[in-house]
Amino acid sequence: MKTLLAIREQDYAWTREAFPSIHPLLLPLCNKPFIEFLIDFAILTKSTAIRLLSDGQLSAVEAWCGNGSRWGIPVSYGSLHDEDCMNTLIDKNRRFCEKERVMVISGFNFIRYDKRQDYAGMANALPDGDWANCSGGAITLAGSPQHPEGRAPEAPPVLSLIPLDTMASYFTTSMETLETGADHYVLPGYGGEPGCAIGRNVVISKSVEIKKPVSIGNNVQLQSGSVIGPSTIIGSNVIIDRASSVSSSIILDNTYLGEHLEVNGRIASGNLLTEPLSGVSIAMEDPHLLSGISQNSPLRSLPRKIVHALAAALLLMLLCIPYLLLWPPLRLTGRWKSKALECLSSSGKQNLTLNIIELTPSGGTLSALAGALSLDRFAMLFRVMAGQLSLIGSTPAEAASNTPDLRAGKPLYRPGVFSYAEAEEWPTSGSERAIVERFHLAHSTALQDVTLTLKAFFNRLHEKSTS
Amino acid sequence: MIITEISKGDVAIIAFNGTLDASSAPELRKNRALNDPLQTVVVDLQKLDFIDSSGLGAIVGVARLKDDRRFGILLSCMNDRVRKVFEITNAQKLFHIFDDTKAAVEYGATRQSTCK
Repeated sequence: MKTLLAIREQDYAWTREAFPSIHPLLLPLCNKPFIEFLIDFAILTKSTAIRLLSDGQLSAVEAWCGNGSRWGIPVSYGSLHDEDCMNTLIDKNRRFCEKERVMVISGFNFIRYDKRQDYAGMANALPDGDWANCSGGAITLAGSPQHPEGRAPEAPPVLSLIPLDTMASYFTTSMETLETGADHYVLPGYGGEPGCAIGRNVVISKSVEIKKPVSIGNNVQLQSGSVIGPSTIIGSNVIIDRASSVSSSIILDNTYLGEHLEVNGRIASGNLLTEPLSGVSIAMEDPHLLSGISQNSPLRSLPRKIVHALAAALLLMLLCIPYLLLWPPLRLTGRWKSKALECLSSSGKQNLTLNIIELTPSGGTLSALAGALSLDRFAMLFRVMAGQLSLIGSTPAEAASNTPDLRAGKPLYRPGVFSYAEAEEWPTSGSERAIVERFHLAHSTALQDVTLTLKAFFNRLHEKSTS
Repeated sequence: MIITEISKGDVAIIAFNGTLDASSAPELRKNRALNDPLQTVVVDLQKLDFIDSSGLGAIVGVARLKDDRRFGILLSCMNDRVRKVFEITNAQKLFHIFDDTKAAVEYGATRQSTCK
């Protein structure tokens, strides 16, 4: 038997707002990424291969799961469309499915199972159709049973689906998994006794009190006097500072919780504290109370910033004389108009205010010349030298626009003075522009950026001078 | 890049062999089946070793020509390297992608007949 995991973006859209820095399929439940529960279940049914299908980005999941060698089962990846029905999914993956029986797990649902029970016999003996379902999806078997003569176990094993469609369902499912513990699921961490799992490199001060059930991730510091539990999940790379108490709560990865605080029945992720039942969250501005622990080194992007700044300086030198000659007459005659635009920065956290210059199209030769020489971008070059903008990158996205991916601080957005779409002469509006921009953001080096900037500059020169 | 073309009923199968980049992308614009708005085309990418932004642009460009939903470009047998390019750029959302050319041909033929 083989397993298809079909998870659509719309199924997990709510998590983008609630947990912007975590890929939804890697969202931890009891310190184990969601996708690993699905892989475990596929292994329990004795699947020989798994294919993960989604209409969203899977690169983060692919980086995490790889080819499945960690589990000893081949994992591959594919795409689907929102409207694809079961038969279309199987058709689209015909070579993968071959003539074997296929189990399709669809939707963003948690599978409640028990690792000690026999799911393989059941999966092979049941007829075609839904094995389990809920409002958010189903586990469906397709293809003829592989061992029709085999009998299903007399007592059907525990199996049900819990839709993860709200913060509340995520919270209750995490807590249920913690309570059930390692009896039903394979959970991470060392557990000397039931109800307590602790990861690697955990520093626990002498006066810390731990009340079961708890699950603690890797690289955690519990400072003196803190009280952890009961019913508490602490993720990886977390610091709980002195004399704080955490109970019935989830502290997600990369979070610092300050001193003398009491957290009860909440989810903390970075500087965001959420009440799970209502979904109301508050972002803490004071880093001494609650803050994120950044794993990204600012030095990683330094070489690119240096190259961009040097190229920007060179462009500034080249364009300063034409700018000084053309700007005053255009400004005085009203053909040089500027408007402030609030744009998203590459970190996605703060906004940038850019002065967008509009040159009147019917402004005559001077206006056309200024446009051809990209003098409308002249002032933005100083932003490159200050490290706020790239010389070439994405077209700056308006802060007010509905761009959840950008808000989530995805790496494939880096606002630039020039855009890659201009360099490639692609349409500079619409979704197709985003295709070429993402391609170069993922692939181009700092030096290629300089070449593409020149291309964009000369494309604009050519375009404006011919029009 | 070598482009081979065969027909299966109303569906044309075009196979790319080699590299689809700025130098080979213009060949796509010369292909009759790809540029015919009333022709369903299955593009077999099994032997496509590399694709860059120009190649991607050429495929997206010919797909835009087929504005009638009965016809279109279906992609099949993508290797991992090419799939990652489509995924990272979100171009996968524009295409139906199959891992088997025969299944893609059947899908294309069915879509033509059911949408008539």
